[in-house]
Amino acid sequence: MYGNAYIDPNEKPKSIIDGEDPIKLADFEARIARGEKIEPKDWMPREYRKQLIRMIEQHAHSEIIGALPEGTWITRAPGFKRKLALMAKVQDEVGHAQLLYSAAETLGKSREAMINDLITGKSKYSNVFNYPAYTWADACVIAWLIDAGAIINQVANAKGSYGPYGRALDRICTEESFHLKYGHDNVVTLATGTPVQRKMVQEALTRWWPPIMHFFGPSDKISNHTEILMRWKVKMATNDDMRQQFLNMYVPKIWDLGLTVPDANLKKNEETGLWNYTEPDWDEFKRVINGGGPCNAERLAVRRMAEEKGRWVRAALLNKSEKYVTPLA
Amino acid sequence: MIQSLDPRIAREKINEENNIAPLTEMDNWETYEVFHQKKRGDQHIHVGIVHAPNPEMAFLFGKEQYGRRGISVNMWVVKTSNVFASDYDDSDIFDTVPEKQYREAGGYKVMSKINKYKKENTL
Amino acid sequence: MEHIKELLYKMADDLLILGHRNSEWTGLGPILEEDIAFSSMAQDKIGHAQALFQILFELGEAEPDTNAFMREAKQFHNSQLVELPNDDYDFSSVRHFLFDHADQIRFNMLSESSFEPLAKVARKIKGEIKYHVFHADIWLVKLGNGTEESKARMQSALNMAWNYALGIFEEGDYELQLQSENIFAGEKELQKRWLEAINPIIEKANLKIPAESDWNPILGGRKGYHTEYLDQLVNEMSEVFRIEPNTEW
Repeated sequence: MYGNAYIDPNEKPKSIIDGEDPIKLADFEARIARGEKIEPKDWMPREYRKQLIRMIEQHAHSEIIGALPEGTWITRAPGFKRKLALMAKVQDEVGHAQLLYSAAETLGKSREAMINDLITGKSKYSNVFNYPAYTWADACVIAWLIDAGAIINQVANAKGSYGPYGRALDRICTEESFHLKYGHDNVVTLATGTPVQRKMVQEALTRWWPPIMHFFGPSDKISNHTEILMRWKVKMATNDDMRQQFLNMYVPKIWDLGLTVPDANLKKNEETGLWNYTEPDWDEFKRVINGGGPCNAERLAVRRMAEEKGRWVRAALLNKSEKYVTPLA
Repeated sequence: MIQSLDPRIAREKINEENNIAPLTEMDNWETYEVFHQKKRGDQHIHVGIVHAPNPEMAFLFGKEQYGRRGISVNMWVVKTSNVFASDYDDSDIFDTVPEKQYREAGGYKVMSKINKYKKENTL
Repeated sequence: MEHIKELLYKMADDLLILGHRNSEWTGLGPILEEDIAFSSMAQDKIGHAQALFQILFELGEAEPDTNAFMREAKQFHNSQLVELPNDDYDFSSVRHFLFDHADQIRFNMLSESSFEPLAKVARKIKGEIKYHVFHADIWLVKLGNGTEESKARMQSALNMAWNYALGIFEEGDYELQLQSENIFAGEKELQKRWLEAINPIIEKANLKIPAESDWNPILGGRKGYHTEYLDQLVNEMSEVFRIEPNTEW
């Protein structure tokens, strides 16, 4: 589960194709225009490689960090069915991290280097996971709506131009559809359950709405940079488009359950087909992404703990004679 | 100390400033390419990679990462460094001239001869 | 039926509690691939527990969710081995090795039980347990032959776990009846076969089983005597369920 890759708005939008071989670049762009995929050992512009590594790596980090807020409820999930399903779901997220790190590795960055950048805070992950899952209902809302958002993003990205990322996303999307069903089933059960359950799920929805609106990121600035990334099929949809798609698909389902979305301005404009909503607090978004959220410190400290606890295990099985080879695909 | 809502984490008593040494190269071991067979009679197909320190564990890991939903009957794991892969830059090596119809089934058209023969011999 | 229920309860509780302990590694394992594998096995264990609670339900006990999540710690019949905290991967994997060999042999014995519902479950889950044992053996052998640190850690984990593991074979009140009715050949027989199975693997791992003079089975789990850790885990397991116990979650 994941939102869009966070691109620093302060990054200089100077031409990102400066210095590239024009013939190779033209071949590369023609290949993408024909709908062909780019494979690991193909020639690719520096910026293509850089953006993809950043995007896939952030996605992978989001999966492994995303396992934590839901993991909060693993030992406490109520009853066999929920317990087994939550375990399987969180396991899938770890599996997604594995698939995505593998895809990023094909671009030349080792898994160790990516993990190092995660645990030192150098590399980002989806902002939503810096919020806590206070109750069981929070875990249910995450499983439904965060995964719903993730699917929208991932279905779009699966059609991107980089072969290994697309293949990983195809597999991931299949599993996410289980997550979405599971999450919806949980939320429906609570919303149609006892008054206590209903109250729990409403409170969780109210808490999670702002992070959900942040999930796809701020409106894209239409720059030369984004245009090229869209032409290269690295960025497949704008943040606003994906947010609209999410609102269109899920707000009616939330309202069906008689739950209240905490935004009085939320309403579909029937003429344009677009949803009106209160502009999310983007200062809060920036504050959290830069480390100021309620759980940033915990998430990274937990990852460091897990890496450190596993170090002797990994060291025990290390083959000193082996050399790292980039995975093939 | 981290005050976590997660009882599993709370038990670990983690300090916020728990800086650790960076992971060194190969910390996560080498990689294996995983191939699975969906059912008897099918070809094995490539499904992805696992990081593993030996072939047995590559299989243990591959089985759960790629076969946990019960879609495999057999699995191969091959160390990535043992695979010789052709270069995409050389993909024109697979191009072939279209005149090689002599090795295609469609290159053999006999019906017109048969029909002509039948007609001439009023069979 | 009391004899069959006793057997089912101890097995179900072992699996339920160990499954929970193993699930605590989800997202926190030593490497991504192992995290995934360990989670699968934790799911299997809880799934096996569920199948046994279902048989208990058919024998007139409470329905599976209530039975598993509404009892107090002192009503649990698991061995103390499975309730101990995970600690590090050394203890977790040694426990996994010691328990899963016993589990595999027990279910193998039960696959020919005259009590057909249990025999049926035993046959159905055979493949899953085979993977668990396969997994446990490879890890034990590799870590036992790894670095000085891993060898030392695995040996001390084995020393620590050993007497708890012997507690798996604590006899119940109905051993003879279970044997005479061809339901289960008994804990003594199980322990004998278990020792035969684990010995060669431990040897391959270059580890040593504690000297027999130090064998001191930690008993009581089967009769409801537990460590403080079970209390805490049982409260945790049922925390949400107890908010509204008689409703669907």
